[in-house]
Amino acid sequence: MSPDLVTALRAETPAAPHRLRERVAAVTATTPPSRRFTTRRILSFAVPVAAGLSLAAALAVGLNTAIEPNRSGVADEAFRAAPAQDVTTSPAGETADRAKVLPERSPLTAPVPAQRRAQDYRASLTLLVDGTDELSATTQRALRTTRRLGGYVLSVNYSTPEPGDGTAAVRLRIPVSRVQAAIVELSAMGRILAQDTQVSDLQQGLDELTRRIRDLERRAARAQGVERAQLLAQIEALRNQRVQINRQAAYATVNLDLTTHEPKAPAVTPGRIDRALDDAVGILLAELAIAAYALIVASPFILLGLAAFFGNRAYRRHADQRLLERA
Amino acid sequence: MSCMKPVTRSLADAAERHLDDVYRYVLYLTRDPQAAEELTAETFERAVRLWHRFDPARGSERTWLCQIARTAALDHLRAEERRRRREERYSSLAERTQELEAQTLSPWLRQALGSLSAADREVIALRVILDLDPADAGRVLGISPTACTTRLSRALGRLEEKVGTQHVA
Repeated sequence: MSPDLVTALRAETPAAPHRLRERVAAVTATTPPSRRFTTRRILSFAVPVAAGLSLAAALAVGLNTAIEPNRSGVADEAFRAAPAQDVTTSPAGETADRAKVLPERSPLTAPVPAQRRAQDYRASLTLLVDGTDELSATTQRALRTTRRLGGYVLSVNYSTPEPGDGTAAVRLRIPVSRVQAAIVELSAMGRILAQDTQVSDLQQGLDELTRRIRDLERRAARAQGVERAQLLAQIEALRNQRVQINRQAAYATVNLDLTTHEPKAPAVTPGRIDRALDDAVGILLAELAIAAYALIVASPFILLGLAAFFGNRAYRRHADQRLLERA
Repeated sequence: MSCMKPVTRSLADAAERHLDDVYRYVLYLTRDPQAAEELTAETFERAVRLWHRFDPARGSERTWLCQIARTAALDHLRAEERRRRREERYSSLAERTQELEAQTLSPWLRQALGSLSAADREVIALRVILDLDPADAGRVLGISPTACTTRLSRALGRLEEKVGTQHVA
């Protein structure tokens, strides 16, 4: 570029005529007020509002779901919130409250049998052992312990369906006076997975039987002949019944379950906030999926529109350039 | 010249500052002082309607006004071409143009510019007369700064060929 040419060009710069200056001044004297609703302002407001509404809808659905009562988690929470029930004795035939003993608790928390009352004492214990070898050894040890404490074995169900995997279900009868010691020794044979104790009072029933027997004996002492024979038969039956109850009360029943299965961790029931967040995220994902689907369907048309727009713009630029070349 | 851009508070202030620049640009583009006046006034009329859309972050006021002026000038040139195609008042229009140019530009410049296309005159007006930087001039023309520089170089080359050293005072 020649500096002299540039200088000459700039020296030839004419100024706008005075009449033009006045005309433009009159036109620009009053600038119209800014438009309140421009496309940019509408978009800058509409986009955040739409995003906020979708988020609010997702959270509202999530919170509404969290407040709904027909969720298992609520029932589970209520159940967990209830305190563990202590074992109490109850009349014969009625099931006492079951003591839910957590695996972490000491086996010594098993209730002590009453000394002067007949009770139906039942305990169950589930232990985890390491492998089938330990399963067999522990089963044998449990049987020896039972015999040593004066008890006997009702049944044994031993199963090893796969190598290294197996279960054993042992039902024991142990003198009720030694059941606590038995539970302590059995608990130490493996890792406690579950423990349960149930006690039912039988004394009231025994007392009633004794009263009826005495009453029948008095009547039999005054009776004669056939009537006396019938009363004696009834007395004999009631005595047999009392013997059965005494035998039942003399021994406690202990169910010992041994297993090599590692228990599965209990499914964590999500809390209300977790459920609300899960549902809200689900709604947002559904909204995104719908938006993605709409975008996929509309994308060919969008591409065609963009191609037409840019093509038209390129054509107009080319046409303008050709126009300027000819002018 | 483009290092500091004072903030103009209103369109009236912008018009007062850049009226001459817009007029020169349009004059170079059309080579018709009368048309340049009309187009300059039309430019600022359009600017009044579009003032709310001006964004200082995207360019200076002068660049923005030149863009509007270019659009107005292209509309004018299209109309002129349609008229030329109908072959109405061509000869009288040419005579009037030559007569009016004689009042504004020196003969050597008039003759040299007459041999250039409007595209060449346009880029010379923007880069040399108005002294816009390549980015602003490219924004007005709708091309990249590099393309703008290339176009200017070619236009000045052609102008130099026409002018020659003997017309430079």
